[in-house]
Amino acid sequence: MSPLAPPMRPPLTRPRACLLSGVSAGLARHLGLPVWVVRAVFVATAFLGGAGVYLYLWFWCFTPWDALPGGAGGERAERAPVTRTLPVAWLLLGAAAVSVVLSWLVLGTAGLLTSFGFLALLLVAGAGAWSTFADRADPGRGRGGERAVRIAGAILLGVMLVVAIIGAGSATEAALSTLLVALAAALLFAPLLLAQWRELGRERTKRIREEQRAEMAAHLHDSVLQTLALIQHRSGATSEVGRIARAQERELREWLYAGDSAPDADLATDLRDWAAALEIDYAVTFDVVVVGGSGERASGELAAAAREAMLNAARHAGGEVSVYLEGSPTRVEVFVRDRGPGFDPADVPGDRLGVRESIIGRMRRAGGRAEVRPGKAGGTEVHLVFETPDQNRTGGAHG
Amino acid sequence: MAESPLRVVIVDDHPVFRAGLRAELDDTIAVVGEAADVGAAVAVIAETRPDVVLLDVHLPGGAGATVPEGSTGGAEVLKRAAHLVPGTRFLALSVSDQAEDVVGVIRAGARGYLTKGSAGIDVVKAVHAVAGGDAVFSPRLAGFVLDAFGAAAGETAAVPDELDRLSAREQEVMRYIARGYAYKEVAAELFISVKTVETHVSAVLRKLQLSSRHELTAWASARRLL
Repeated sequence: MSPLAPPMRPPLTRPRACLLSGVSAGLARHLGLPVWVVRAVFVATAFLGGAGVYLYLWFWCFTPWDALPGGAGGERAERAPVTRTLPVAWLLLGAAAVSVVLSWLVLGTAGLLTSFGFLALLLVAGAGAWSTFADRADPGRGRGGERAVRIAGAILLGVMLVVAIIGAGSATEAALSTLLVALAAALLFAPLLLAQWRELGRERTKRIREEQRAEMAAHLHDSVLQTLALIQHRSGATSEVGRIARAQERELREWLYAGDSAPDADLATDLRDWAAALEIDYAVTFDVVVVGGSGERASGELAAAAREAMLNAARHAGGEVSVYLEGSPTRVEVFVRDRGPGFDPADVPGDRLGVRESIIGRMRRAGGRAEVRPGKAGGTEVHLVFETPDQNRTGGAHG
Repeated sequence: MAESPLRVVIVDDHPVFRAGLRAELDDTIAVVGEAADVGAAVAVIAETRPDVVLLDVHLPGGAGATVPEGSTGGAEVLKRAAHLVPGTRFLALSVSDQAEDVVGVIRAGARGYLTKGSAGIDVVKAVHAVAGGDAVFSPRLAGFVLDAFGAAAGETAAVPDELDRLSAREQEVMRYIARGYAYKEVAAELFISVKTVETHVSAVLRKLQLSSRHELTAWASARRLL
């Protein structure tokens, strides 16, 4: 290979949507050749003492499937479905039938104690195994296809047995044929049991993992969360150590109780996340209380104004800030209250855009109201109201 | 304060937390006992008869006691010990802000709820408030209450005694508390006395404990509380 050649060859992997095994397609992609050339080479070399066949099998064994888009590896990648265009199980059954017919045509007997007979039985068993192990995960075939293959295989075995017994020369031959067919039938159905057993094993592993996780969650809840709470308690809520402990506690809690919070980006979740982010950057702790359900979107103007109010509180007041969100079918309200030195919006010079524009102006343009007022006992409270009289809410009309 | 210090028992399964909490309490409060699990807590409380018990929500069962599935150790202590010591008030402490745990302990009889992250001075204040017969509501708990009583949906009690809904005034007080106002600040905002605010909060606590409101029970049973 010339050192100047770009080493940008696609990796040698098999595509998950393939004809039979993806070997030819993967190899063609890797080598930059048309697929039919690769196939032709395999077929041609197959006649050189079967070299092509062995090469094909070798590639089949050792070439991995394409990586999943999400970058998931391990067991999940192993179990991701593969879509095969070729109905391999049916082809195997067809080959079994052809083999019986050939036996009758070439050897003059449809008996099973011939190489054609053996081949036919093996092919039927192979069809059963393929339908379970390869095609079950295929969304286009699945369990229905598997059952059909198995029924067809059983019928084929029955026909073969009847033909063999009718054509049998002796009682021993008939008995041997019956035995062989029984064996083939067992092989046809064995994969079902095997698959079930593997499924059970997997379930058990999964359950054990869940239990371990729950145990770990309980333990962490008891020890780490308590310690983090104590750190906050002892260091003061707004000290740096306290804030780090708080951020850690929040992260750990989210991980432990991942299923408990709504995953979609509603306003409440958004404000909580924003509070967590601000706590890291400023000496401030937010207490976010949410009442009622609100369908308010996190992208709306209300959310933007609320975030701005929280940022102001974190920047200018610090300390403890309370955020209260109440949603009812007809209105959504947000209160952001700090305990800082306080200011009167009337005193703020006109060129300061923060409060005037990004909170009050924004809310007015979106059809809501905003009010900034000093608390009677100090601090400042920003009150945002958004009336939604009809179902057809237009939360962020002016985006 | 000239009066004799309040006698307090700390129930928490973490020695470090107990020690930390004990160090934070000032001399208006005397810690007369500690316990680490349900069994020990019941014994210590019955023996010392404290004014206030600081009770962790999550506790292991310990000797001779098991915590039933779906309940919490804190609620279990209340069930077993509260009737032995009628004069004792319980204040729940928790690292867990799970609504069901907190409401479970309150419904079992705790007079208030604080998060474990609360500063020492807040704990001291809360202990005194609870000892004086008042309820202690954190903003979070006030939010739970508003939610559980359907306040956001506009449900208001027609008569003040109604157990299943909050009166307009009670809702107002709860909203202020949820917005982070201290009782004193609520009183100033509403032009009423602090005592009146405390009365409203106590009324809400009573409703929370006694109400058979559908959401409370459904909420609780959905989470296997009752």
